[in-house]
Amino acid sequence: MTSEHKQPTNPVISQSSVQDTPDGRIPVGKTMPGEQPMLSVQNLKKVYHTDGGDIEAVRNLTFDLPKGQLACLVGPSGSGKTTLLKCISGLMAPTSGEVTLHGEKVTGPPKSMAVVFQEYGRSLFPWLRVAENVELPLKNQGMDKASRKDAVEQALEAVGLSHVPKSYPWQLSGGMQQRVAIARAVAYQPEVLLMDEPFAAVDAQTRADLEDLVRGIWKKLGVSVLFVTHDIDESVYLGERVIILSSSPTVIQEDVLVDLPAERDQLETRSSQRFSELRHHVYEQIQLAKKGFRPEDAVAMR
Amino acid sequence: MTYVRSFLNIIALPLILLFIWFIATLGETSFFVPTPQLLVQTFIDTWTAERFLSDVFPSLGRLIIGIILSILIGIVGGLLIGSFRWLRAMLEPTLEFFRAIPPPVLIPVIMLLIGIGDEMKVSVIVLGAVWPILLNTIEGVRSMDEVLADTSRTYGMNKVNTVRYLILPSAMPQIMAGIRQSLSIALILMVISEMFASTEGLGFAIVQFQRSFAIPEMWSGIVLLGLIGVILSFIFQLAERWILGWYHGLREIEQAA
Repeated sequence: MTSEHKQPTNPVISQSSVQDTPDGRIPVGKTMPGEQPMLSVQNLKKVYHTDGGDIEAVRNLTFDLPKGQLACLVGPSGSGKTTLLKCISGLMAPTSGEVTLHGEKVTGPPKSMAVVFQEYGRSLFPWLRVAENVELPLKNQGMDKASRKDAVEQALEAVGLSHVPKSYPWQLSGGMQQRVAIARAVAYQPEVLLMDEPFAAVDAQTRADLEDLVRGIWKKLGVSVLFVTHDIDESVYLGERVIILSSSPTVIQEDVLVDLPAERDQLETRSSQRFSELRHHVYEQIQLAKKGFRPEDAVAMR
Repeated sequence: MTYVRSFLNIIALPLILLFIWFIATLGETSFFVPTPQLLVQTFIDTWTAERFLSDVFPSLGRLIIGIILSILIGIVGGLLIGSFRWLRAMLEPTLEFFRAIPPPVLIPVIMLLIGIGDEMKVSVIVLGAVWPILLNTIEGVRSMDEVLADTSRTYGMNKVNTVRYLILPSAMPQIMAGIRQSLSIALILMVISEMFASTEGLGFAIVQFQRSFAIPEMWSGIVLLGLIGVILSFIFQLAERWILGWYHGLREIEQAA
């Protein structure tokens, strides 16, 4: 057996950060030592103003995403995951705090970022064929026709869809449609790939295939991936790191490093002891979050 | 086989109606109701190449120009009004006012302002036919899918491409529905515009026949109008199938699921 089984079972890495924060209350997401933060979220807060009063969706979020990391954001439903992602992708302005990409403040959708949405059926252009959907962002960037053709072919090849370039997206199954959306993001060659519960609407078997596809693409392209999900198993299986969000108003509940081997396999990895330990831990934290436990309470008790 | 079948479907009702008409007018002596045979004969005698040149083609020309202008103004105006909330807030009450005015009552005013030529007749057509297209385009732009709009924004689509690849196609099903309504309005207004101070045109010819008691000729003009309507709708359906092929396919799949 590997040495990791001899380690204490508590995989928490961020406990120290709770004490390290300037005000001693809010846990700070970690940046791996020696790595440049690519994407940085600083004290992000989002309040929706409605007729029925203000709704605080995100209270205070701080974390960094280093270059080339695949991090999963997981939280109970209604924990402001989508709000957070919209702020990071520049689709929505935060109430306070900021998001920076390469040290530059994000004020609108950044060029080097691509987003894959959950609703594949509504994020692909139904009037464009598969290849045209993948091609459109490149056309918009002014890439010449020959390069576009190559890029589209490669991207479709990478997601295993080179046989249906002339189909319309709605002629394909849900899983294939999400592959088209991933191919479009891949062809765009982003530095950061945001994925908003991309597999929530596909069946379990397709989902496993798509998870491996995302791991494969991530390794091949070396992009930073921020993968939002409500599925605990998925977050542990996919990520190198799992950021657990509290219930709304959202703060970071915990930041867990996933020390599973880099080569992951749906059967092997998921049945390994370390996987179930990590899964167990994340599950516990989510349950705590659902019950309304907040990280600042833990500090207050001290 | 399917072609034969659909052809039979199309002509079945007209044949039945013709037959009923034939039976009903057997032994008919009224001057005002022609028999089918008489009407066919009159149609051939009346609508000669010469009359097509003098009356039918000028009418069709004005109709087509009126429709094209309505489509252009309706779509461009609808895209602008639908895209800017402040513009919509500013224009909508006024648009409702103008829409409520039936174009025929404006004919005397337009005649005084721009005369009795083709411009007047085309203006009348546009004043009536532009509304369904304009309002449907506004609605189509407003009902844009949010996820699709977000997708376009995250890929940094510029303004021209956003209109070309996102807003226009997404509003197209509603725009086409508007155009369909506008076609029949345009045809009606084409006829009405020619009933005032005119010297040629299909509407003028029909009124002339009626006033000179050339009743079978008058009927034949009405038949010709109906035929023009059928041809217009047929052309429209061809265009719609080509432009909205994706939409019908998508709807079929959604309904099957």
